[in-house]
Amino acid sequence: MSVRPLRLPVALPPISRVERDRVVAGVCSGVGEALAVDATLVRLAFAFLAFASGAGLVAYLGAWALLAAPGGETPPRGRRIAGTVMLAWAAILALRGLGLADSLVWPLALVAAGVAVGTGAAWLGLRERPAQVIAVVLLVAGVVLFVSQNTTGRPSSFVAPGAVAVALLLVVGPWAWRLTRERDAEHAERVRTEERADLAARVHDSVLQTLTLIQKDPGDARRLARRQERELRAWLYPDREPAAEGTLAGAVESAAAEVEELHGVRVEVVRTGDAPLDEPAQALALAAREAMVNAARHAGVDEVSVFLDAGDGRVSLYVRDRGIGFDPETVAPDRRGVAESIRGRMERVGGTARIVSTPGEGTEVELELS
Amino acid sequence: MSRPLRRVVLVEDHDLFRAGVRAGLEATVEVVGEAASVADAVPLIKELDPDVVLLDVHLPDGGGQAVIMQVAPERPGVKFLALSVSDAAEDVIGVIRAGARGYVTKAISGTELTEAVHRIADGDAVFSPRLAGFVLDAFRGGETAADPELDQLTAREREVLQLIARGYSYKEIAGRLHLSARTVESHVSSVLRKLQLSSRHEITRWAAERRLI
Repeated sequence: MSVRPLRLPVALPPISRVERDRVVAGVCSGVGEALAVDATLVRLAFAFLAFASGAGLVAYLGAWALLAAPGGETPPRGRRIAGTVMLAWAAILALRGLGLADSLVWPLALVAAGVAVGTGAAWLGLRERPAQVIAVVLLVAGVVLFVSQNTTGRPSSFVAPGAVAVALLLVVGPWAWRLTRERDAEHAERVRTEERADLAARVHDSVLQTLTLIQKDPGDARRLARRQERELRAWLYPDREPAAEGTLAGAVESAAAEVEELHGVRVEVVRTGDAPLDEPAQALALAAREAMVNAARHAGVDEVSVFLDAGDGRVSLYVRDRGIGFDPETVAPDRRGVAESIRGRMERVGGTARIVSTPGEGTEVELELS
Repeated sequence: MSRPLRRVVLVEDHDLFRAGVRAGLEATVEVVGEAASVADAVPLIKELDPDVVLLDVHLPDGGGQAVIMQVAPERPGVKFLALSVSDAAEDVIGVIRAGARGYVTKAISGTELTEAVHRIADGDAVFSPRLAGFVLDAFRGGETAADPELDQLTAREREVLQLIARGYSYKEIAGRLHLSARTVESHVSSVLRKLQLSSRHEITRWAAERRLI
């Protein structure tokens, strides 16, 4: 069984005896080093305590039994228990030697023993549960003894409940704390597992399916890959996703997605700002869709740029391609696509549509609402 | 048009994508080194001292910003072009605030990327349509700014950015606004400077989230 060097319940460095500048067994040097005080001070303390019914001597022997040899192993269990008992005995001697009444010393000793057993169970080689039971019994005994010895009208009676509370906290506290920690860790692990499962399901439903489809029909790879990309983006960057169906940006982006899907071109939508999807905005989104379809169908390009600029009560939308272009003068005025779907739609809601095209350089459709 | 040969280091964690970029770049750009992580990239860039570093925004051990912050103090001459599939504004703004001189999405063609490398090497800025959109968003609105010189775009700069967002090239923008290509470039560089130095709320928020300030 591996046992750590003695650690007090408060944050002290582990104590062990030291070889360097030792006088007898290195106990005082060790304690001094761990507490970062001069060894001479520690020796003086032990010497002073020796006058209190020899408490200093007993304490020294106990510490010698208890502490690890210089750089060596932790002493065996029997020696540790013996050392602890001797230290306790020394403490009792010291307190009595310094003039404390028995009615105070013995309850205090019981409480201290309870705390020691409760917090140092592992180090003393005791099992956790029995140690806790022993600790609680010792604590209660100490408190009961204290109360029964001191109930002759002294004001200290109200100290007792406080003492019980502190003692219980010391004993049960670390245990409860560890339980909570373990439960938190379990919870975090469960959340992680769920996230992994969610991710796996997502990847399976989308990416793996798409890859299978591409293997079956490589001719369609471009369109499938683009659709997959769009879906993954929407999932990975939800903040760039339009605020649901009800906005103009949402309508424009889903129109772009439809056109990509139907015509196998890439429609790159850049937007700044957004606007509510009222009737004019709906008309604008439909006109934009028509412009995208025209570009996809007639321009002979594989990418179309869309820029939506909305805000301050104005909306501008541009659909641009770098395709073959056309001469607007030569298009028959009755060609339905441009005339009706784009211009007519915009004019009916009080907006404007402008189409700029140069053969060989591309086309841009500008839609505006103000 | 003859152009000087540009030496480029490619920092990107996907082998396939690195191979694709290498194959797509034209002869005027030479890939002199490649790295797949921040830890590999930093010493490599310091050793090779390239003209331009093509930098993925996302890397397994820290991201493009970490590379810029470790290299830039010692090699101020090295310029960075961020390359990403990211649609998240804070990623993009973050890497620009760290010192990158431009941002392009990975869907860019080899010819356009070559053009972008030359432009960056010449000290200009490269804005993709998406970055232009982010910047217009960030500088939107009439918030009373602490430093109007840095915290607001001029009408011309806004016009240029809008044309970039619409998919126009610098040359096309110059033609449309009756400016020289050089003037368009200086407007874009000025926007980049504002983006890096401005204390506008929206931008500092992004930067703070990425622990850049």
